[in-house]
Amino acid sequence: MAFVRLACLTILIIAGSAYADSLVNGSDNPIAGPVVNPQTNPKTDANPVVRFHAWGGSAQVNSYLKWVADRVERKHGIALKHVKLADTSDAVSRVLAEKAADNLHNGSVDLIWINGENFAAMKKNALLAKGWVGDIANFALTNPDSNSAMVTDFGEPTLGMEAPWGKASMVFYYRKSHFDSYNKPVPQTIHALLQFSQQQPGRFTYPVVTDYLGISFIKYAAIALNSSNQSLFYKPVTQNALEKITPSLWTYLDALHPTMWRNGEYMVRQASQLQRLIGSGELSLAFSFTAAEIPSAVERFDLPRDVRTFAMSDGSLANVHFIGLTFNSPNQAAAKTVVNFLLSPKAQAKKQRLQVWGDDTVLDTNLLSPSQKSMFETQQSHPSALDKSQSTPLYAEPHASWTDALRQAWEERYGARY
Amino acid sequence: MSNFNSQSTPRSRPQSKPLSKPLYKNRNRSLAQGHFNRIAVCAKWLLLCLLIIPVAAGVIGVFLPAMGYFPAIGANQFDFRVFAALFDVAGIHTMMWLSLFTGVVATVIAALFAFVLLSVFYRSQMLSRLQIVLSPFLVLPHAGAAIALVFLLSPSGFFARLFTFNSSAIASANEGVFLFDSYGISIILALVLKETPFVLLMAISVMSQPLIREKINGYFKAGTALGYSPIAIFFKLVLPIVFPQIRLPLLAVLVFAVSNVEIPLILGPNDPSTLAVAVLHWFNHIDLSMRLQASSAAVVQVGIAVFAIIVMLAVEKGFTFYGKKWLQRGKRHVTDKAISAIAYLLLIAYVVLVVSAIYTLVAFSFAKQWTFPNIIPADVTMVHWNTVLDAVLTPLSNTVLLGVSVSFSALVLVLLTLESEPLNTGKTRASLLLPTALFLPLLVPGVAFLYGLVWFQQLILKDAVWFHVYVAHMVYVIPYVYLSLAVAYRKFDNRYVMVALSLGKSPMGVFFLVKLPLLIGPILVAFALGLAISFSQYLPTLLTTGGAISTVTTEAVALAAGSSARLSAAYVVIQAVMPLCGFGLAWWLSNILFKPSTTKISTNKSSTGKSVRSV
Repeated sequence: MAFVRLACLTILIIAGSAYADSLVNGSDNPIAGPVVNPQTNPKTDANPVVRFHAWGGSAQVNSYLKWVADRVERKHGIALKHVKLADTSDAVSRVLAEKAADNLHNGSVDLIWINGENFAAMKKNALLAKGWVGDIANFALTNPDSNSAMVTDFGEPTLGMEAPWGKASMVFYYRKSHFDSYNKPVPQTIHALLQFSQQQPGRFTYPVVTDYLGISFIKYAAIALNSSNQSLFYKPVTQNALEKITPSLWTYLDALHPTMWRNGEYMVRQASQLQRLIGSGELSLAFSFTAAEIPSAVERFDLPRDVRTFAMSDGSLANVHFIGLTFNSPNQAAAKTVVNFLLSPKAQAKKQRLQVWGDDTVLDTNLLSPSQKSMFETQQSHPSALDKSQSTPLYAEPHASWTDALRQAWEERYGARY
Repeated sequence: MSNFNSQSTPRSRPQSKPLSKPLYKNRNRSLAQGHFNRIAVCAKWLLLCLLIIPVAAGVIGVFLPAMGYFPAIGANQFDFRVFAALFDVAGIHTMMWLSLFTGVVATVIAALFAFVLLSVFYRSQMLSRLQIVLSPFLVLPHAGAAIALVFLLSPSGFFARLFTFNSSAIASANEGVFLFDSYGISIILALVLKETPFVLLMAISVMSQPLIREKINGYFKAGTALGYSPIAIFFKLVLPIVFPQIRLPLLAVLVFAVSNVEIPLILGPNDPSTLAVAVLHWFNHIDLSMRLQASSAAVVQVGIAVFAIIVMLAVEKGFTFYGKKWLQRGKRHVTDKAISAIAYLLLIAYVVLVVSAIYTLVAFSFAKQWTFPNIIPADVTMVHWNTVLDAVLTPLSNTVLLGVSVSFSALVLVLLTLESEPLNTGKTRASLLLPTALFLPLLVPGVAFLYGLVWFQQLILKDAVWFHVYVAHMVYVIPYVYLSLAVAYRKFDNRYVMVALSLGKSPMGVFFLVKLPLLIGPILVAFALGLAISFSQYLPTLLTTGGAISTVTTEAVALAAGSSARLSAAYVVIQAVMPLCGFGLAWWLSNILFKPSTTKISTNKSSTGKSVRSV
């Protein structure tokens, strides 16, 4: 659930819209300033304070960070203060203001939870410390060499300015009873999906492209259908690149649309309606960006018990969120210690638990020791939850400029659907 | 008193000729009376301002950007390029056609249905029962009715479940022809369902006005004597009297039908949608330059509404033209049996819809697993209601606070306005303006003027969100409260007032001690109606608050698209229960506060006063 909100937030931020959320109470207003006076808080202090500026709109995230604060206090003697933001861009502009005011060493923000547009802005203005991520021992566990999503943030190379913290990847879910009665295997690739939809018309659909899940499906299809041209997606979009990508995408969608729910004439306006149609049994197959929401919806009876979750074997679009360290943080060493703890198998396993947050780990579980691995496996209990022991290839989010380009091209071809 | 003119000589004291008593005593009374009169006239002007200014400001605020003037994004040249761009948008003509088609067809069908029902039941005991059957769809906000229809009609909905006998069947995916169809049939269905009770009620309230009732009774006797059947009498003699009286409300229904957002948003097509939905989408677009296109589309929406009115009047003319010929032929029977059959079928359809909607929504709000094609849920739980009750407290208190304050102030203003009418016997400018002003907010499509209104609100008192939403609600609540109370005022036997005045009560005294107690029933009903109208406002609330103040209805529309059918059902139940509580409270209070059957009102001055105080 938390990630749905986060993803929406990200989208809003990308859109440059001011997202004033009243969820965050006034006393935590970042403008109120740091609790600790930086002058009296040098690194050598017995009890360094790390101020973690993070969106505070989710009770689950907040209580998880409370647990983290308890742990680092006990283990490393670091006082972690979660500054709850209504809008991450508030903190970004704060750091920018500090830089403009020549405050180069005593910034009020140590760590910041970002991705996408905010990272691009901080990178452009050199507001983040560079190359520090390599110092984090646990960062190696994310397998950054073979997993480019850990070092790329919406197409922007991270250059060691931010450490991956968690991820959401696109998962598919289906009604087992339906597939049993069709006597068909569940589609595992983009091509198998089309075949399935042709054989069982009306059982799959995706939301309109103004919805973030709708455009995410288009991105997934575009990348999966253009495996030879994947590198194009990680550079700013050009007319040439778009023309290379779209033919196979249009061929695919032209074939898919007539086979979709209501013959593709009506497409749902919001991603949430997909879940509802799976629940009512009109659809057999749908997808989500929040694997954790599937079992919890089953627990709330919104989805029937025969729902199963899986990831496409040809890759799933992943949306990684990161922790940045500001260039003017007075407590860099302590902040790195905190990040190392956040990337520890223990903290990551806790975060991934459905009851805690349900946010996917960024660690490559194949690199973990059997005992560490078991921490991630013990929670695999719900039959409807994603089996996380299987690791699937991830597609990093294309460069941010692709979102608008693909949406516009889609609307030109298939009509803007309001 | 009769010479009193509020505009030219606001300070002049009314001369109270009929009440000439000892001079010093008279002066006090005439002072008080002057105050009351002045307050009443002020209230009337305030009411007019509340109706006219927001709508006018809103229309201007939409018209300027449509003409290319929108300084916030650096557009300040007047031209028609925005309109040219609008008509280049793919599917724009389909959108316009869809809006016009669904609105006109739904209104015509709703009117016909209402007349058919009336023609069969207008002189029978069934009429009151009919009103009970129709009332759930009358008080349920449009959004709630549309959501309820989705629950019933979708391929996995209640009706599909009823007619699926294979217990291992999978819900069909493509066979629900009624939902999201590109012809807009689902929109028409929902509108007809909602508007038929409204038209019917309007007609009934017209027919129950004393003068019209007498006329109808006379015509009925004459018609019966000449051998006309009751149904023929209704269509040939009664309807021609009633129709002109409900023409304006019917046109208001029409304008709402062509321009409403909730129903097409919930069950309409989106390839393309109706124009109103597109307007909403464009106004909410992140790209501010889309505001220009949205504004021009809103202006086009006004054009569509005007065109729809013309079409409707033409339809009426056609009916009148052929009606006259039909009348001259003098047939004593119309297709009586067919009409009764239709009326009974309609009645049955409504009963089935109401009962299944109530069952489905209530059952869903308590359901654990409830897979297709089971007709009852596997088990029940309080988990959804707990979630809803946790979350609904703020929207609920916002809704009630807003509804009570809006409805109460509308009631006060309307009462004072009505009171100012008999005091000023001459036609003042205000009383000439009033009938037009009352229908102004109902005849200008909401999507057209609300956005313009929001623009002005951004310029003036940007942060006074509650004030803005209050004004927007007042605009919609006042006409209904006025229409509902005006009927009661017209029915009121003015001899009570005359007697009280002749016994020396001041107009204020008469108002508080005679009229209010006697009219307490209609007044409370008008208050409840105001509450219901305020509760149901979706677009005005959403736009003027920018989402900062959530109400039950805005939450319900948001949840209609949400992932949980169960929470959505629970919200519709709340939406239905709230106005019913209002009307129930009105009925109960009017019984408690004043019962003419137990309290004998004598025309004696002192006992009139006492009887009210003592109850």
